[in-house]
Amino acid sequence: MKGRSFPETIFAACLIVLLMAAYGYAGEPTDIARQTTDRVIDILKNKELRRAEKTKERRAAIRKVVSEHFDFEEMAKRSLAQYWRQRTPEERKEFVVLYADLLERTYIRKVESYSDEKITYGEESSDSVYAIVKTKIVTKRNVDIPVEYRMEKKSGNWVVYDVIIEGVSLVNNYRNQFNKIIVSGSYEELVKRLKKKQVEGSDKT
Amino acid sequence: MRKFDAELSAGLFLLLGIFALAFISIKLGKLEVLGGGGYAVYAEFQKAGGVKNGAAVEIAGVEVGKVKSVRLDKNYEAMIEFIINDKVKIQEDAIASIKTKGLIGEKYVEITPGGSDKTLQNGERLRETEAPIDLEEVISKYIYGKV
Repeated sequence: MKGRSFPETIFAACLIVLLMAAYGYAGEPTDIARQTTDRVIDILKNKELRRAEKTKERRAAIRKVVSEHFDFEEMAKRSLAQYWRQRTPEERKEFVVLYADLLERTYIRKVESYSDEKITYGEESSDSVYAIVKTKIVTKRNVDIPVEYRMEKKSGNWVVYDVIIEGVSLVNNYRNQFNKIIVSGSYEELVKRLKKKQVEGSDKT
Repeated sequence: MRKFDAELSAGLFLLLGIFALAFISIKLGKLEVLGGGGYAVYAEFQKAGGVKNGAAVEIAGVEVGKVKSVRLDKNYEAMIEFIINDKVKIQEDAIASIKTKGLIGEKYVEITPGGSDKTLQNGERLRETEAPIDLEEVISKYIYGKV
């Protein structure tokens, strides 16, 4: 069989470039942010899962999608900051679970209140292992809420380690709160509070 | 003999005056005569929000360094260089935020220490930053909405 001729190869190359441009080729981190967001929106729009008695299943599905690209361990570590190093491996494990629960309880209702807000993706800046993806949520009143994802490449997978909404870092917010609780009380006090919130949260749903 | 004494004391007095002037200008101008201790760390902010050269860099309210320069980088973001006290180690996941002292006070940079084992060396970049919140912008945005 004869190999492809030179003009054909050029044509194919041009076609690929054109297609990429048409698709709006963005970097890998942006694609991951977009895919994850789209998958969550799909779950929220799913009529079957929308029913009240399906809340548990819906939340489990969202959690599964989100946890693929959210590094809760890294977020917990960064939030606990200097106190992370003093923890034993068991304490760390327990804390990551409590922290992921805290985030879920705090933000799931907000996510579920989604009603066709538009999400636009802006510029991305990245070096080899860190990336920043800038997005905007456009509300119905036409107000832009800037949301920035800070991502890190860990074993070949881009994962989010901080979210910055309207210029305020999620990790820094919790870092300050946890720091205050630990300084004025103790780490045990912090865990106790998180556990208490966990119990309260599960009563409500 | 008498005349010589008067000249000597006038000279000494003048010298003292010059030293005093030099001391005051170094102190007030925050000049570092002996190069100054500390290492340099860079950070990129979306907005510098009025931070000036010589502004304080604080951890837990304690001054640990100073802003050395504020300039615009090629992405039209603010690149701020800090000089940090040698004794203070800053982890690579520390977060730098620009804050205001009181409601209308001067701007300063607050660093919240991180939990990483890696610390920043001279000339390295502090990746995590928070731009100052522009209250005016936030308020107007949520009151009037966007056009």
